[in-house]
Amino acid sequence: MTHYIRQLFFLLALFWLALASARAAAEAEPMILTATIPGVGMEQAVAALDRAVVSHNYTFVRQQAIDSRLVPYAQEVRSVRIYYFCNFAKMDRALRIDPRAAQMLPCRITLIETPSGVDLMAVNPAWVSLGMGNPLLHAECLELKADYLAILEEATL
Amino acid sequence: MKRVAMLLALLLLAASARAEPLTAAKSVSMRQAVDDITLAAANHDMVLVKVQPIDSALVKRGFEDPHVRILFIASETAVRWAEAADPRLLNLLPLRLTLIQRDGRVTAMTDDFEPWLREFPQGEARLLLKAWQAELKAMLDDFVGQ
Repeated sequence: MTHYIRQLFFLLALFWLALASARAAAEAEPMILTATIPGVGMEQAVAALDRAVVSHNYTFVRQQAIDSRLVPYAQEVRSVRIYYFCNFAKMDRALRIDPRAAQMLPCRITLIETPSGVDLMAVNPAWVSLGMGNPLLHAECLELKADYLAILEEATL
Repeated sequence: MKRVAMLLALLLLAASARAEPLTAAKSVSMRQAVDDITLAAANHDMVLVKVQPIDSALVKRGFEDPHVRILFIASETAVRWAEAADPRLLNLLPLRLTLIQRDGRVTAMTDDFEPWLREFPQGEARLLLKAWQAELKAMLDDFVGQ
């Protein structure tokens, strides 16, 4: 009987630890990664991103207004742009691991021009992958998150 | 004891389980799937903004064909609502549909809105997320029904 009670306590402790670590991981990952480039306009911010993306072995894919193709070109919002970029080897690897990686592809940063500069934001791929329950993909996404942070930081320099 | 262990394992599974993204599948070619999604989007006042042919982009660079293509759809209303409700929601726009081709069937998959809904437990942003989720669900039903 004592043996069973010990085992039960052991299993309960394991359960609690697993639950706590899962919660801690979820709470540790912010939803959005952000940075601000103060005192610049949209064009300068895009140029800074161009440089940062290339220097981290990514390729520029395209950029567009947030309402591109939804309104006539002349009426597009100029203050919110989407910047897409990609590293094809990483994309290939992530898709081989799990096709749901497409939810993070291509890489994307949203730029919002404000009176004081340009805010950059990106959805944290590690936050997204936490919900997918695939540890291999999560490991890739942690690397991707590190790349995002490096690119955001370099763009602000 | 085994029963207790199984019960705990189930509890742990339930605690860590997350909702899956919305999906719909049918036997169709990738090209036809893109056409059908475009039509389904139009039926729900959405516009196909961009087809991201990551399959051909990878093949062109010597990688294996993942048989995955990404479509972006949106409406002007969705953009304006997101701007007003919470600019963080702009990261979801245009809305993404991933097409995955396997064994003659194409599965269309949305992004998973559940983590977003957890981040926005109330307010206008949550209502907007729910509305997009419902719209995408209806669109996927339309896609399958065609």
